[in-house]
Amino acid sequence: MPVEHAIRATGLTKRYGDFTAVDGIDFTVNRGESFGLLGPNGAGKSTTMRMIAAVASRSAGTMSVAGLDPEQNGPEVRARLGVIPQQDNLDEELSVRENIIMYGRYFGLPRRWLNAKTEELLEFAQLTHKATARVEDLSGGMKRRLTIARALVNEPEILLLDEPTTGLDPQARHILWDRLFRLRESGTTLVLTTHHMDEAEQLCERLIVVDQGRIMAEGSPAGLIRDHSTREVLELRFGLDRNQEQAQQLTTLLSSAPAPSNGRASSSGSASGVGFSHVEVLPDRLLVYAGSAESALEQIHAAGLRPMTSLVRRSSLEDVFLRLTGRTLVD
Amino acid sequence: MSTEHLTRDPELQDPDSPAADKVTMAGRARRFGALHQAERTLRSMRAYGTVILFSSVSQPIMYILAMGLGLGVLVGEGGDFAEYGASSYLMYIAPAILASTVAMAAGIEFTFPVMEGFKWRRLYYGAQASPLSPGQIASGHILAVSVRFGVHAAIFTGVLYLFGAISSPLGVLMIASAMLGGLAIGLPIMAYVSTLRDEKGQMSLIQRFVIMPLFLFSGTFYPLTNLPGFLQVLGWFSPIWHANELGRVLAFGHPTPAWLILVHVLYLLGITILAWLATVRVFTRRLGLEEWRGRTPGAKADARRQERLAVKDASDVARSVPGETSSAATPVRSELPRISFRRGFGANYYSGNIRAVFGRGLTAIRNNRGVIFLSGLLEPVLFLTSFGLGISPMIAGVDAEQVGLSGGGTISYAAFIAPALLAVSAMNGAIFDSTWNVFFKLKITKLYRTMMSTSLGPVDVAVGEICLALFRGGLYALGFLGVLLVGGLVDPLAAVLMWCTALFVALGFASIGMAVTSFMTRFQQMDWMMMVLMPMFLFSATLFPISVYPAGVQAFIQALPLWHAVELMRDIAFWDFSGLTLVHISYYLVMIVAGLALTTYRMKKLFLR
Repeated sequence: MPVEHAIRATGLTKRYGDFTAVDGIDFTVNRGESFGLLGPNGAGKSTTMRMIAAVASRSAGTMSVAGLDPEQNGPEVRARLGVIPQQDNLDEELSVRENIIMYGRYFGLPRRWLNAKTEELLEFAQLTHKATARVEDLSGGMKRRLTIARALVNEPEILLLDEPTTGLDPQARHILWDRLFRLRESGTTLVLTTHHMDEAEQLCERLIVVDQGRIMAEGSPAGLIRDHSTREVLELRFGLDRNQEQAQQLTTLLSSAPAPSNGRASSSGSASGVGFSHVEVLPDRLLVYAGSAESALEQIHAAGLRPMTSLVRRSSLEDVFLRLTGRTLVD
Repeated sequence: MSTEHLTRDPELQDPDSPAADKVTMAGRARRFGALHQAERTLRSMRAYGTVILFSSVSQPIMYILAMGLGLGVLVGEGGDFAEYGASSYLMYIAPAILASTVAMAAGIEFTFPVMEGFKWRRLYYGAQASPLSPGQIASGHILAVSVRFGVHAAIFTGVLYLFGAISSPLGVLMIASAMLGGLAIGLPIMAYVSTLRDEKGQMSLIQRFVIMPLFLFSGTFYPLTNLPGFLQVLGWFSPIWHANELGRVLAFGHPTPAWLILVHVLYLLGITILAWLATVRVFTRRLGLEEWRGRTPGAKADARRQERLAVKDASDVARSVPGETSSAATPVRSELPRISFRRGFGANYYSGNIRAVFGRGLTAIRNNRGVIFLSGLLEPVLFLTSFGLGISPMIAGVDAEQVGLSGGGTISYAAFIAPALLAVSAMNGAIFDSTWNVFFKLKITKLYRTMMSTSLGPVDVAVGEICLALFRGGLYALGFLGVLLVGGLVDPLAAVLMWCTALFVALGFASIGMAVTSFMTRFQQMDWMMMVLMPMFLFSATLFPISVYPAGVQAFIQALPLWHAVELMRDIAFWDFSGLTLVHISYYLVMIVAGLALTTYRMKKLFLR
């Protein structure tokens, strides 16, 4: 009897001695959904993944994965999972093809069936021409794809991806994203952790923002940006010593700016013209949150301020995280 | 130009800093670079400094007690060492043991750290980015290792003096001769290792095919002339023999013609200088301007194998997917066969799929060139040849009563040690597999973590690995027993029983070894384990009966597992069973059960935290 949700956790807690890595979080992942855990290093994402994959015990709370308790039926839960760890731990003593076949053998799958399956997976990972190569001779992107292909050998219902594209070059990332899209369309549930905002925006239908073991916010990437940030951001650099004093000046200047013709009102409900919300001071730059960053920049130039560099961009999940925690994601 | 740029910003550049004057700094590095590199290497050695110091003190004591006194009692009856200038067997072997232990250390210090520098931690590439020249990086390592040999040899010699194993003041010079011997055996190996791109078991090949034979046939425990002619030739090539003989001249005036002393010195110096130059050359090629990554061992054999596999795979696929060429880029959900897991008792720990873990090990062995695997077979044969042939002329035979066998009479020395060597080889094989290999898969390659992301449980992994250790141990034992059968040292029925016993003993050591390994966190802790194994071997009644020791020491030896294995093997080989046989068997039964229980408990701890 199939269960509606793929994963459900309530009050999920993990303590290591005095340190609480995961602090009573609740979440549900629906079948066929692609779900993200977003947060900085050490937020408790990987620990949560380990508890889902039945290789870490819970300190408190309940968890059900495909209707089973991972702590009671580890092997049976893992039989339905595909796990892609943060670091590719491919078997360097085996060839590319043997890596997939052996991994399938760990699931007890018959060799005959695996032979055909492996060819299919090699093709999916675009590694057919490398089938007999040694793992060591693969590039970073190829290794990552092999790790993913390997995790698909048991045709998992749920795929757990821990930082799937960290350390890959942009081209390799896009190939990987493409493969993950295909999986999503074939109905596989994806659960991924990331601290890359663009990745979360690309891949996740729904995500939770985690920090210090707690859930800070939950929603779709677009929804989170709408709720917690302005539409656009203006990044300014004035030089290391002057950022702080300029912030004050900018706030005063922009709060009294006239309304732009095409800007929309900022989420803070300010009536100011550029849809100005607030200024964040980072060690190396200032972030001006505004409905129209272009107009804000015009205002600043008009007032005779000369930033060393300026950049107009759309708000991202990075800004959501900064707003929620007061910290940047990648430090 | 770059200097100008750096000095332009006064805030970034402290004029008093020694780094301010780039030209002087680089000049100093070019002159003394080797010393800087040596300092770095010595600093990293401090991590296991206690191990080095401890072994420098304990090794001579152990050898004196085991070989000098234990074997000395047996040899003392048949051997006369006055003709060699020594007043006892102990005195005769002491200088050679010093030279041999330095040579053994050379086998470690000139292999693993070099591979670490080029590949595992790429330390040399950090030094390469400094003004140091590649040759200085090589020489720095050599200098540091020489210092480590010097410390070891000095302490070792001190202990020998304390025990009265050396009397001549000239013996102090043995420190130099032993160091020279260590360099002469170590540097050619370093030159070879530094050409390697990958480590595919070369280290253990060097250990087993080069260092071991050179040590065993170097006249350490007996005069080289005891061996048949062709094995003596091997000894002449061994730097260890030359170092041994030099040490003997220095320690007790071993009668040697002047020309031969000159040959010893020139041989050792010649190899050292040539190999040093070769090493510097390889380092310069590898770390110099042109990009040369070193050669891949067995690359040709690999290519051939892959060709074979490609052909085989193509036919496999053709058979399993008749007529259909799948062009779908997205994996289609085919009919998935049943995945192995269990319900009910222990479902969380065991999924009934030990086969897969075992199968993976076999595939890995096949990929890693069989010669390494088979090299384990050689070790007991070498030991038997060396001790059987070399020591036998000094020993009339072993008194059967003395070794606890009924029936009286004497047995030949070779027949005495053969069954014991089988037990030792079973122990070594099992320990190697369950410690080094398991540690590697646990901490370095994280293979077990991969396995634990599938439906395997910790019990599947643990039992699969133990089966693999037994498979390997079983093959080694089979080979060695074959040699014994051919040599007429054991009869066929006993051989069959001894083979089973070897597996039984290996199971005991493998299960304990794995449990112990699961507690380890760093490589250096493995050294401590080796420090337990070495004395266990020396004091196990393998090479001489333990009746030479006082009752207290005997009781201690009898508490150790290897003694039980050795005795059990002898009971079978000489078909002489008693109540004690049952004690030996029970000892191992307890060991196996306790080891397996602890291993399973630890695996759960490690994998299901």
